[in-house]
Formats: sequence, C-alpha cells, structure tokens
Amino acid sequence: MRIFSGIALAALLVISSPALAKDKNAQFKTVEAKHFTQAEGVELSPAFADYFYAELRNELKKEKMAEDVIGEGEAVEDADAPKSAVIVGTITEYKKGSVVKSALIGFTAGWQSMKMDADVLRRSDKQKLCTLHIHTKMDPRWNEKLMAKAAAREVVKGMRNELKTQPQ
Amino acid sequence: MSTTSRRALTSAFVLLFSLGCCFSLLADEPKPKPENTISLQLAEPVPAQKFAHPPKFWIADVVDRSGNPQPMLVLKARGGIFLDRQPMVILREALEQSLKASGLLAADANGADLTVRLYIFHFGLAEGSQLDYFGKVEFSAMVKNPKSGQSLEVKAAGTSIASGAMLKKNLQKNVQGNMEESLKDAIRNFLRSQQLKDAVAALQQGSDVTPAAAPPQ
Repeated sequence: MRIFSGIALAALLVISSPALAKDKNAQFKTVEAKHFTQAEGVELSPAFADYFYAELRNELKKEKMAEDVIGEGEAVEDADAPKSAVIVGTITEYKKGSVVKSALIGFTAGWQSMKMDADVLRRSDKQKLCTLHIHTKMDPRWNEKLMAKAAAREVVKGMRNELKTQPQ
Repeated sequence: MSTTSRRALTSAFVLLFSLGCCFSLLADEPKPKPENTISLQLAEPVPAQKFAHPPKFWIADVVDRSGNPQPMLVLKARGGIFLDRQPMVILREALEQSLKASGLLAADANGADLTVRLYIFHFGLAEGSQLDYFGKVEFSAMVKNPKSGQSLEVKAAGTSIASGAMLKKNLQKNVQGNMEESLKDAIRNFLRSQQLKDAVAALQQGSDVTPAAAPPQ
C-alpha cells in the first residue's frame, strides 16, 4: 500500500512539474492585444471585433504567454517595454459559406472561412518578433463568434510555436 | 345557431386568445427579486499608474448614454438577472474606491486638480457566442482642469468571457463574476491608460502655462 502511495505521489509530482514550470516561464512581461482591423470587403458584424479581442486576451491569459495581459492602450513602465509585446492584425478575408453546399456535398464544402494576418511586435522598438497567417474554417450554420474563438486559439498557438524557435 | 351568435362566439374566442397571449407575455417579463439580484463590487481596488505629478481627481458626474431602457436587467432569459444598483452608481463607487486606494481622490470638488465626468456607453452583457457570456463595460471620461477650463477625453473598455451554466445558481454566479471582471478591466484600462497619462500631463501643463500666458490685467 505504501509503495503504491509513493508511486502515485511521484507520478503526480512528475505530471504537475511542467505545469508549474510553465507558470514561471512566461515569455513576456506584458502583452497587449489590439483590436484587429478589417480589410475592405470583409463583412463581419461590428460586435465581432470586440468579441475577438476579448477572446484573444482570454486565450493569452490561459496560455500564460505573459505575466500580465494588459488592455488596449494601457501604459507600460519603460523598464518593462523591451520584454513586452503588442499583437496587431488585420482580418483580410471572410467568406460566409453556403449551408446548401455544406449539407449536400459535405467534406468541408461550403464552410465559412476567415483569413487574418497578425504581427507580434516588441513594444520598445516595434521590431517584428513573428508574423502569423491564420486561416480558420467552420460550418456555415455556426455562429461567427465561434469562429472568433477558434481564430483566437489559433493566433496564440501559432505565436507560441513561432516564438519557441526564436532566441529570447 | 344563428349567424349573429356564431360571430359573437368567434369574437369571444379571439378576445380570449389575445388576452391569454398578453398574460403569457407579462408572465415572461422577469421581475427583480432578492434571489435573482446580484451585487457588483471590486474584490480589491485597482492600482493606478504612477504620474510624474500625482493629481487629485474628483468624479463630478456619471451619465448613462447606453440607451438601455432597463439598465439594471443584465440577463432576460431564465427568470432574469438584475443588478442591485444602477450602473452609474456601481461605476462611480468602483472608480472612487480605486482612486482613494491610490491616493488620487480629492476630499471634495474644491480640492480637486482635475474633475472627471463619466459617460457610460455599455454596461452589461454583450452578444456572445451563445455558449458563453460576454461581459462588457465601456465608458468615456471627460477629464477637466477646473482652473483653465480645458478638458480632454479618455476612453476605457473592459471585457470578460465566462462560461454558461445549466443551474440557475451557477449561471448567476458566473454572470456576477463575469461582470465584476469586466468592471475591473474597464477601471484598470482607464487608470493605467496612456491616454489618461497624456491627458493629465497636458492639463497640468495647461494650468501651469495659462496664468503665465494670460494677459496682464
């Protein structure tokens, strides 16, 4: 019984240690997400930009990309600026999709799709740390806000992968 | 049965049906009760940014410009969720609490270096993905130097996303947490914004410069 308890405790420690290490190793001191702009011809509801901004901040907090996820336009201490990032982006394309095509053909035909370009900039000198090209596809019957959720997740995932390969 | 009595019977049915519809609509309209009312307050005051010359603020007035006919109704579905106070009162109290904690609140209007007039544009839940609740607080502040009369606008917004819930009790808890988070976020966005920093610097400079620049009497 004691041996079993010991093994269980050791396993628990092994599982939890990367999670604890992740908390301490936030890549940035602060990160600021800006509202993404929409390119000409992109027909999304005005509430979409707000919701995407909120979702992006939510995902950044969840992924612990920075010690502090600040709001748009917040001031940052000069000392923290070199270790801080700003995310800017543009929604370049949005296709509504077709419910009929989706239902009749299937296999992702007629799905709504959205493309966006995002840049992660260093706050102090505005140097580009990485550029992301996100393409999200979803069933046309689903709410566009779910698309925002998926896109925000993709942006943060892409950012983490891109920055992992770069020297700090 | 004669035609007249048939007509009278049909009219009575139509009247009864429309009355039934009216009553069911009235029954659907949620009413504020202690069990569906939430109280919003900041768990702890939001620390403000550091100013070169810390001014004393005074909140002169709060105006609701949201155009919401029921500002205290946060959620209409599932019996409704109501706020215990008007959004104007909640915002004012939260901002005063944070300013006081940072030592930036004047004792009265006469002792203030800068007066603030707040305009609420959104306070409550906004349209979300239907799987979660999207809380949003958006306001604009007119920061005025009472000595020079010069004023500048500072915008602030706070958002928060909370998951939905099956049970009413959990739903109410989630909505309350969501609203408190977005209120905190909006206050933080205002108190730590670059816009406020620039506005304070410009207005303080204005008050220093104005007497010197004024023509001699």
